[in-house]
Formats: sequence, structure tokens, C-alpha cells
Amino acid sequence: MVPQGLYYTDQHEWIKIEDGVGTVGITDHAQQQLGEVTFVELPENGPVDANAELAVLESSKAASDVYAPMAGEVIEVNEALESQPELVNQQCYTDGWICKIKLSDPDAVSNLMDAAAYEAFITNE
Amino acid sequence: MTSQESCKKSALYDEHIKLVNPSRLAEFAGYLMPLWYSSISAEHAAVREVAGLFDCTHMGVLEFSGTQAENFLNELTTNDVAKLVVGKAQYSYILDESAHVIDDIIVYKISDSKFMVVVNASNAENVIELVGAALSEQSFNSSELLFRDLKSQDANSDARVDIALQGPASIQTLLDIIEDGEFAARVSDLKPFWFTSGYIDGIDTIISRTGYTGASVGYEIYINPQEAGWIWQLILDKGSKYGVVPCGLGARDSLRIEAGLPLYSHELAGEFDISPIEAGYGWAVKFDKPYFVGKEALEKKAASSNMAVERFEFSAARGVRPIRASDAILTEEGENIGSVLSCAKAGERQIALAFVKRNVIDEGQTVGLYYLARNKRQLEQGKKEKVEIGEKLESDILGQKLARYERF
Repeated sequence: MVPQGLYYTDQHEWIKIEDGVGTVGITDHAQQQLGEVTFVELPENGPVDANAELAVLESSKAASDVYAPMAGEVIEVNEALESQPELVNQQCYTDGWICKIKLSDPDAVSNLMDAAAYEAFITNE
Repeated sequence: MTSQESCKKSALYDEHIKLVNPSRLAEFAGYLMPLWYSSISAEHAAVREVAGLFDCTHMGVLEFSGTQAENFLNELTTNDVAKLVVGKAQYSYILDESAHVIDDIIVYKISDSKFMVVVNASNAENVIELVGAALSEQSFNSSELLFRDLKSQDANSDARVDIALQGPASIQTLLDIIEDGEFAARVSDLKPFWFTSGYIDGIDTIISRTGYTGASVGYEIYINPQEAGWIWQLILDKGSKYGVVPCGLGARDSLRIEAGLPLYSHELAGEFDISPIEAGYGWAVKFDKPYFVGKEALEKKAASSNMAVERFEFSAARGVRPIRASDAILTEEGENIGSVLSCAKAGERQIALAFVKRNVIDEGQTVGLYYLARNKRQLEQGKKEKVEIGEKLESDILGQKLARYERF
């Protein structure tokens, strides 16, 4: 269920790192908990700290903040989510990505969980 | 998940975990129940178009019997119990002496000397305590007044829990499961707020044409908790050909909001101590009765309040942020007249129940909505996290006032 090769936070974000750029989204576990996402407030391009508020996902039951898994600069946001917020539910690991961050310290990924650790984390939560 | 461990399991818990992953269960009034089975919007639509089945077994079910039962209930509740006839149910309130709402309830007249009273799960203990205190002041013998909690272990074979089947196909589904032709005929003749009893497959049931979804065709079935799983499965089995689906807490909330029905602690009591009159239920309070608990205080409160629960509609199109409790309702000129209590998406609309200055806005007239800041970033962008009535604000979106209630 939890894809290999991505890294995970205890707030249920994932990050996929390629050439120093991290693509960020929320996990399947998170989207299930949230329910049908009806509105996405995307971040603006610019610097962001690790664990800082990045985006807001709103479902019919709750507004939920998405935090930056790692520090860097937001260089691209998934504008498709403005018209299709349901992508966060339907394809949370692919088309439902939220933004891309040019990482200031790619090695900080060692603070995050790998797939096996995250799987164990949600099982015990 | 420690919160899940301290919760009670509803009589239908085993059915729920057959249908959903336990992680989908949420705590409601101390019980673990599914937020949704398929999706909130699909379940909402099913109730409007076909029918939906709801686990209401958490609701409190009380019984008052004896020669003094009617008099006792008439002093305890705001509506007029003396006007009830056998087979009819009545929406009503229990207040305290200061006119705070203790609960909104339905009183069923089973016979001249027996009443069933259905109360909210989260308030059942308070009601039982209040009744106990009232009983201790008056010394009734058991033929005069006997009070029983029909959800307690002691109720045994008399125990009752509530399962609701709501929506246009609910009647056909019920008729399909009732083999006794006379009982079926009585059920199909039920008018709103009437009930009847009979046997389904040898199991004793009470069926009432009541509900909490705004569906004009909808029923609640009162049955022994031991049989709750059986009838739940039977209804889903027989109803599947019509498209009857189980509905979770999410659709229950969106349906009642769309219909304009109040939820205790949101549109009744709660942060604003909302009275039945302010909630729009003055008809369920009979000031012409000589006495009911809280009457004097409620008369004063009603005379001094200029606030009311009103219903508003906003767009739910893509890109429109969902409205939440505490967001502000504005006049077209931008004056804040009150705040949202509950809001839900219903098809292409967001329906908000809000506590606002009464009748400042006419039905059909445009209103504005101001979203309060949801997080630090929005605060930094200048959004306020708290606003006052009378304050001038800029509308984020426009909507309109609707009629107080809607039937479907």
C-alpha cells in the first residue's frame, strides 16, 4: 500500500526526491482520514521551512494543514488541484501531488521515514 | 487510537466493521460509528433519491408509565402532552429552571398510561439525572409512575434501540420485509409523526414516521438491541434492489443541515445558549400550559432576544472554500449580523445554518460570507480569526437566505 522510494512524515505527507527537488503530497492514509477533498489552498512560490504550513486541504468535515516535509523553496504548485481537488483522494501519490520544493539540504531526508517505517507507524498509530 | 478504546460500541458495531475499515470509525456521543461507508455525497444523494439506513442505536430510549405519567411529562416538557393521542408522537424540549435546553426529544404515546421518550445519546445521562431529581421530590408509587431506561441491561426483552430508514424508497422496503398484511397496511397508512407496532418475522417492532433528514417519507424502527443486526441486514438485503444504502455520520449531518434541522449544542443550547424559540421551534413550546420546567425564564428570554437561527445557501462549485462554523454572515453592505453554526455541502450548494440578527435579511435576499482565518498564514495575510456583530467586513463570497426549513 505504501509506495517504496518515497519518504514520509508523521503528519502523513510524502516527499519524492529527484535531482535535489522534492515533490510533496499526502499519503493514502491521510486522504482516507480526511474524506472527500473539496478545496485546496496551494502555497505560493518562495522559501519554506521544514514543518511550516504549506497548503490547506479542506474536506466536507475538516480543514487540514499540509506541512513542508523539508526546507527549501517552493518552485512549482499543482494548479490542477484548484479545479480538481478530488485528485488528492483519487491519485494521492501521483496526479494529486501538491507542490515541488527545491531542497536546501537534501540530506535532511534522513529525518523522515522510509516506506517500511511509515507502514509500521500507521499500523501502530 | 486510545480515544477509540474508551468508546462504547453501538449495537450495530459488528455490522459496521463488516462494511468499513475500523480506522473509518469516529467517536460520536461516546459511540464509535462510521463517518461514511461509500461517500458522504453518495449517501446524501441516496436518501434524497432512494433511501438510506442509519444506525441510531446510540439514541437514548426512556419509558414513563403509570397513572401520573402524562401529568409528569407535561410538567417536564415544553409541548402539550395532554394533546397527544395514542399512536402519535410529538417533538418537544426538556429545559432546566433557567430555560437552558437540556435536550430536544420525541414523546411517543404508546397507551393512555405509557409513553416512550427518545433523547439524544449525548444528553441521555443528563435527562435521566434530571428526571431522577424530579421524581425524588414527588413520592409516586409504581402504579402512579414508573420510569425506565430502555437501553439499560435491566430492560431485557423490553429494551429498544432506534434504526432509521429514510427516503422515498423506505416505504416499499419496509412493506417488502413485513409479512403480516395488517401491520403492513398500518405502516403504509402512517402519516408524519404517527407510529404503529407489530411483528416482523416474530420480532416485536415499533415503526414511526419520523426522522432527522427532512425526508417526507422516512421511518424509525424501534427494536430489541439483540435483533438490531438482524433487521439492519434484512433491510439492506431487501432494499438493495431499490438502491438502499447504509449512511454514516457525515450524511446524517449534511441531510439534517440541508433540511434546516437543529443539532443539540450547535443550533440549540451550545456557545450561544440558543433557545427553542430562537431555533425556530416556538410551536413546540406551549406557553398556554399552566406550568413546565423553565417556562418563566424562557418567556423572559424570548421577549429579550433579537437573534434567530436562519438558513442560507452558497455555491459549492469547484474552487469555493467550504464554509465552517463561526464564519460570519454579512448583509450586502458588509455588516456582520451573526455567525455560522453548521454548514454542509448538498449537491451544488453549501447550506449554512447561522445564528443571526432576526429578520434583517428577507428570504431570497443576497448575503455575504466572511471566512475566518483558518491558520497562521491566513492571519498574516490579514484575515481575522474573530469578528464582532455589527463590524463592517468584506464578503469573500455571496449567497442568499432560504426558507427556515426544506422538505424533500
